[in-house]
Amino acid sequence: MKNQTTSTTSKSQNVIDIDYLTLPSKDGDSVLETLEKANLDVHFNCREGYCGVCRTKLLAGTVEYRVEPLAFIDDDEILTCCTIPTSNLKIKMEY
Amino acid sequence: MVEPMFFGNSVNVARYDQQKHPIFEKLIEKQISFFWRPEEVDVSKDRVDFSKLTEAEKHIFISNLKYQTLLDSVQGRSPNIAFLPIISLPELETWVETWSFFETIHSRSYTHILRNLFSNPSEVFDDIVVNEEIKRRATDISKYYDDLIFATQLYQSQGEGTYELDGETHVINLRELKKLLYLCMNSVNALEAIRFYVSFACTFAFAERELMEGNSKIIRLIARDENIHLTSTQHILNLWAKGKDDPEMAEIAHECADQAREIFLTAVQQEKEWAKYLFKDGSMLGLNEAILCDYVEYIANQRMGAIGLKHEFESKSNPLPWMNNYLSSDNVQVAPQEVEVSSYLVSQIDAEVSADDFGDFDL
Repeated sequence: MKNQTTSTTSKSQNVIDIDYLTLPSKDGDSVLETLEKANLDVHFNCREGYCGVCRTKLLAGTVEYRVEPLAFIDDDEILTCCTIPTSNLKIKMEY
Repeated sequence: MVEPMFFGNSVNVARYDQQKHPIFEKLIEKQISFFWRPEEVDVSKDRVDFSKLTEAEKHIFISNLKYQTLLDSVQGRSPNIAFLPIISLPELETWVETWSFFETIHSRSYTHILRNLFSNPSEVFDDIVVNEEIKRRATDISKYYDDLIFATQLYQSQGEGTYELDGETHVINLRELKKLLYLCMNSVNALEAIRFYVSFACTFAFAERELMEGNSKIIRLIARDENIHLTSTQHILNLWAKGKDDPEMAEIAHECADQAREIFLTAVQQEKEWAKYLFKDGSMLGLNEAILCDYVEYIANQRMGAIGLKHEFESKSNPLPWMNNYLSSDNVQVAPQEVEVSSYLVSQIDAEVSADDFGDFDL
């Protein structure tokens, strides 16, 4: 499965590595939306950066925030609901 | 920029040009942008729905409203009384005031809901203070506030020292006070994180069956506010624990970690007992005690993780996935044409015209 998904990924497209999966990220999609499209069991509530339920560890890569996050996040964490990948990402779900 | 959040110099001028923790100003702005009034939500259809509920369902619905009324009564008042006298940052002071103000909106909306369901809602309100199940929780919720308020009053009026009052010895010093503050903040955090959600789940379970939808609209707005409040207490606890505020609070956070965990787990346990009480006469379609307890554990894991505590419960996926539809803010934003706003034009235009008004017209 991993190879299949990566092979369809165009060069300019960012990918999100999560545990054993590699997901192509569609332009403009938030990290959360990409995970949802892959039918992963994801945690979220507000989808607007203030509840912090989607807090996820960012192992590698960079992101851009659509809205300013208000929930508490550590330096190595992101809120998936309001971030867009600006490079390939490697993330780890908290649960 | 040396003032800590609490127990520094008193706040002085309410200026926001210099901020130690700008997050509180951002939370204030977000919270104010959420402003709403219960009267904007039409709950009249709920009365018909309510009369069709089974007795067990009526018990669930009303008990939850009673409990939420109690929670918001505490939260509408206590942060002001307990925290304002000891806060030393204007942005945090204003946040606490904003927070409390929104809790009073919540309290008013429970009356709005109950007035619509009963010709005389007094009976329901009267029961809140005599209901054993509610009383037991109330003690735990207000205990930490009471301890902090009491000690602060002694400290601010008498100073540090050991005092004998009603046969009890109280050791008052700044370190002890900070400990009480830390425990109180943990208790408030647990309240905002866990205690509200059992009731929210029941409300939204009714809405999933297209019942009591007016009520669900109001609770959705309340849930959105509570989410912001929770974020603020999580920020305060994390700022302390990570040494980004008062270094002594970082020590205390470390020292009292077990007590903080205990406060959280007690809240979880009490909410599970509450679920049992709710379903004592029978469950409702789509929700029962077991699923609700699973949900409590599921959110407890998340909320504990957010303040740096270990997950206590076996991790599992969300047992009530539809809850997210009600908690996500996309679905809360109500377009003006969808709500019946009847009040905004009242008294805005003077439509009275008398013959005298044309007295000085020359043709």
